[in-house]
Amino acid sequence: MYRKQVRRRRAVLLLLVAASLTLLSLYYREGNGGPLHGAQDVVSTVFSPIESGADRALKPVRDLVNWFGETFDARGDRSRLEDQVAELRDRLAREQTQQREAKELSALNELTSGGIVPDGTDPVTARVVGRSPTVWYSTVTINAGSSDGVRVNDPVVAAQGLAGKVTQTTPSTAQVTLITDADSAVTARVTPSGATGVVEPDVGDPSDLQLDYLERGTQIAEGQMVVTAGFSTGDLGSIFPPGIPIGEITEASVEEQQAYQRVHLEPFADLRDMDFVKVLTTHSGGRSKG
Amino acid sequence: MILTRGVIARLAALGALAAVAQVVCFSKMDIFGSSPDVALLVVISVGMLGGSLTGAVTGFSIGLLIDCLLLETLGAFALTMLTVGYVAGRYRETVGRPTRAAVVLLGGSLTLLGAVVIAAIQIGTGIDANVSFLVVRDALIKSLIGALIAIPVLWVVRLVVCSALVDERRAARRTAAPRPVESG
Repeated sequence: MYRKQVRRRRAVLLLLVAASLTLLSLYYREGNGGPLHGAQDVVSTVFSPIESGADRALKPVRDLVNWFGETFDARGDRSRLEDQVAELRDRLAREQTQQREAKELSALNELTSGGIVPDGTDPVTARVVGRSPTVWYSTVTINAGSSDGVRVNDPVVAAQGLAGKVTQTTPSTAQVTLITDADSAVTARVTPSGATGVVEPDVGDPSDLQLDYLERGTQIAEGQMVVTAGFSTGDLGSIFPPGIPIGEITEASVEEQQAYQRVHLEPFADLRDMDFVKVLTTHSGGRSKG
Repeated sequence: MILTRGVIARLAALGALAAVAQVVCFSKMDIFGSSPDVALLVVISVGMLGGSLTGAVTGFSIGLLIDCLLLETLGAFALTMLTVGYVAGRYRETVGRPTRAAVVLLGGSLTLLGAVVIAAIQIGTGIDANVSFLVVRDALIKSLIGALIAIPVLWVVRLVVCSALVDERRAARRTAAPRPVESG
């Protein structure tokens, strides 16, 4: 009897492990339109209204717990000032980008606007309803999906700056991969110096990003701002419009710049604690989902 | 644990609730730079009460649901939680009913195990970026939070499946004080 139980237990365990590994393997192999992605979309769509409801219902609990943490960090008093700084930072980034473009394109008569939100873009406001419990997945789920005009690769901004891009959609939800995710890489420019590089994460440390692949000889100082570069070369183009604030240089040692062409920056957006984001779609009419 | 249809239904509801609450609430909490992994503690509790098979199946189901809700790689959380549920259940089967101290220790150590398994899966599937030392700090804080809230979570899970806990009722009867003998 006991042996039978042990055999049954082992068989079920092996079956579950095999199922997990098969799912992992198949999921990696199939494309976004595969049957596993489809099944996942169905489950996510079914649970989406429950998630939205639960998010609102449990917000007081979450806020209470976070309040203790915020008080501990003495952050409570700063929210009003942070809003003002974010607004001024947006304005500064926009103006600095416009200045740089005006210099570079002075030979041309047409001056393109260096605004953060490019013409023809309709921002869709969405609520962040889900977050991964581990630091390995820097992704969030938002309550706007393909039926709201959200498409894969649409840029996503938070109140203070760039948050990430849409990597998967269902009719009612979308997965946003944050700039702190291991798969993220954003071409960026340091203002006002104009040095360019690629912003990459330091997995596990949401307050530290790295600006890599800087040109040799560039001099970057702490406190300078980093914005999206929005490069375009032939058919290849960055999915992020130019001029969106990303972060501020926090560490720029001469040794590291010379040896690795790298500096460190802290993202402006508080990626661990954001309730709303804007998806810069080019397909919808600028709706919002609260 | 005697698994009737009613108990399985209650476990399924508890699992769905735990997965949704984890994704929409607990993961968004910021406690010293980390967040509590309550869904994992629910799996550990079920394993401690119901044994390895119940723990593994519950872990697999809750993990798979979280994979779906987050639109993440299917199977990653399922494999992690199934491992943790199985280990918690094996503890129950080999050592017996865990004491309070054991629940705290298991809550912390198995949360750490979960962090190690998910890290191994991530590294195994290839990661193309630097990994900060803060990953270790996150795992340790998560583990500490897990140890602190393991007893309340076990208490809630025990309430949900109390009708199925035959061993616990027997143990309670054995330890109950004898009734005084009436005279006259």
